[in-house]
Amino acid sequence: MTSILRSDVAGPGAPRARSGPPEGRSPRWGWITVGLVAPAALLTVAVQIYPTLYSFYLSFGTVSAGTVTPVGLDNYRWLLTSARFWQSVAVTLVYGVAFVVITFVLALALALVFNTQFRGKAFYLTVIFVPWILSEITSGVIWRWMFLRDYGFLQELLGPLFGDVTVLATPVGALAVLVVANVWKSVAFALLLILAALQTISREIDEAARLDGAGAWRRLRSVTLPLIRPTLTVVIAFMAIQSVNAIGMVMSVTEGGPGSSTEILSLFMYRQAMDFGKLGVGSAVGVVMFFVNLVFALTYLRALNRQSELGGR
Amino acid sequence: MSHSRPTRTLALHLLLGGTAFLFIFPVLYVVLVSLRPSGEGLSGGLVLSGFDTSHYETLLSGQRFPRAILNTAITAIGGALLTVFACTLAAYGLSRGDATRLQRWLLNAFLLLMMLPGLTNIIPLYKLASDLGLLNTYTSLITTFGGLGVPLGVWIMKGFFDAIPREVEEAAAIDGATRPQVLVRILAPIAMPAVLANFLINVVYNWNNFFLPLMFTTQSDRKVATVALFDYQVAYANTQNELVAAACVLIMIPPVVMFISMRERFMAGLADGAMKG
Repeated sequence: MTSILRSDVAGPGAPRARSGPPEGRSPRWGWITVGLVAPAALLTVAVQIYPTLYSFYLSFGTVSAGTVTPVGLDNYRWLLTSARFWQSVAVTLVYGVAFVVITFVLALALALVFNTQFRGKAFYLTVIFVPWILSEITSGVIWRWMFLRDYGFLQELLGPLFGDVTVLATPVGALAVLVVANVWKSVAFALLLILAALQTISREIDEAARLDGAGAWRRLRSVTLPLIRPTLTVVIAFMAIQSVNAIGMVMSVTEGGPGSSTEILSLFMYRQAMDFGKLGVGSAVGVVMFFVNLVFALTYLRALNRQSELGGR
Repeated sequence: MSHSRPTRTLALHLLLGGTAFLFIFPVLYVVLVSLRPSGEGLSGGLVLSGFDTSHYETLLSGQRFPRAILNTAITAIGGALLTVFACTLAAYGLSRGDATRLQRWLLNAFLLLMMLPGLTNIIPLYKLASDLGLLNTYTSLITTFGGLGVPLGVWIMKGFFDAIPREVEEAAAIDGATRPQVLVRILAPIAMPAVLANFLINVVYNWNNFFLPLMFTTQSDRKVATVALFDYQVAYANTQNELVAAACVLIMIPPVVMFISMRERFMAGLADGAMKG
């Protein structure tokens, strides 16, 4: 296992133990493996694979009193003509891009700092990690209070000097608060992954570049970043998926408001299904989101395979 | 270098100290609000005019909140146990079995599933739970939590088993130990810390999960703590924010304590799992 808090231990570049069956085992090992994997496979089929297939089915029907009536492509047709759906797509896109870019830049900068030797590293890293350990809903409550109109924290602090804090009451401001809150929550995880990758780069490579006269910026751009590029792709895919699926935070910070200006796709899906009772339409949104996620997930898989080709892990 | 070493070190600590403060401040703020006298709530910025722990007493002596915490504990721990059981077996099989095509395919499938969040499945899951009469039950939450944790767990545990040299098992086998004996006496003690880390990661995930229990529970005595907090936020907004803050603090304590007590293993498990063992 990689040690994130220490940088002096052998990283994942260290020789690995052999894997595969011990010699002289019976050929029945294959069946034993199948048996060992069965509970995990069964659980996954029950709560992930089957529901995904079922959501495809539901998306082609309407549900009333528990019975599904097929309606063909009606739900999708409805979505394509729904202004609120397209608004939701746009909001998700803006929110997602802002969130991914800011999280990524911040996490990369912090990872570069944490990749040096200094006292108190474990302490700082632990503190920065706390937001990631909190529930979306707890974080949401806190961030709502920060920016709340009339008596939020910033209002109390800045109100007397600069006038009322009305950020949450404006569409752009509310979206910005959501981005800030989610960046705050997610930076640590991105930082962790980038730091683990940085620790696999041997000091000699960096030293060689330095002796060749490359400055710090040049070494970062031409040596460090290309070496960890697959990991950076993984992080971006991870963050993108998170942003498409953030919902608890949105529900507690803005409730999708003002109006429906921060109603990201996941919240739109929830409201169609639960508030308006349209499980079919909700499922159709879920299917759309599934394919968006799938694109990012496949990107992630490809990046991981490239990483192992590079011999990083 | 143009700067002397002490100056650089000082600048580094100022930078990181400032960053760390920004990250922890919202958490400290909610603790502060939770200790304010009733009615003061969010007013007063950073000033604490009195020290009042009665909101915690109100919550803990009431009916609803302790019940919600109990529901959370049962479902979070139950789900994590299920996950750990399933993925320890699977990871051992996948790490030690022949590297057949099926196995590689299974590993990639788990990896892909890890990246496909359960959120898009929430409506079919709700419909299925509803059809099976499993809304408002521990069974539905524990099973779903258990299943959602499997893909990451398999990878965390596989990375761990891959790192144990097979010579350890072979030596024991040569000494005449049977395979179950090897598993129980040799591998289990070595694997325990990784199993525990995997368990804790899953407890934290399940503990914090909000959306799934929101969909699966409607009866107030079956709601978990995060959902109860959401209800409080709506019901007590502007009137009893101190109470809401106290609920926040109580909900965040267990995950934070679990994380800090095992932070190194926790972080290593996450990083290795996400980066494919």
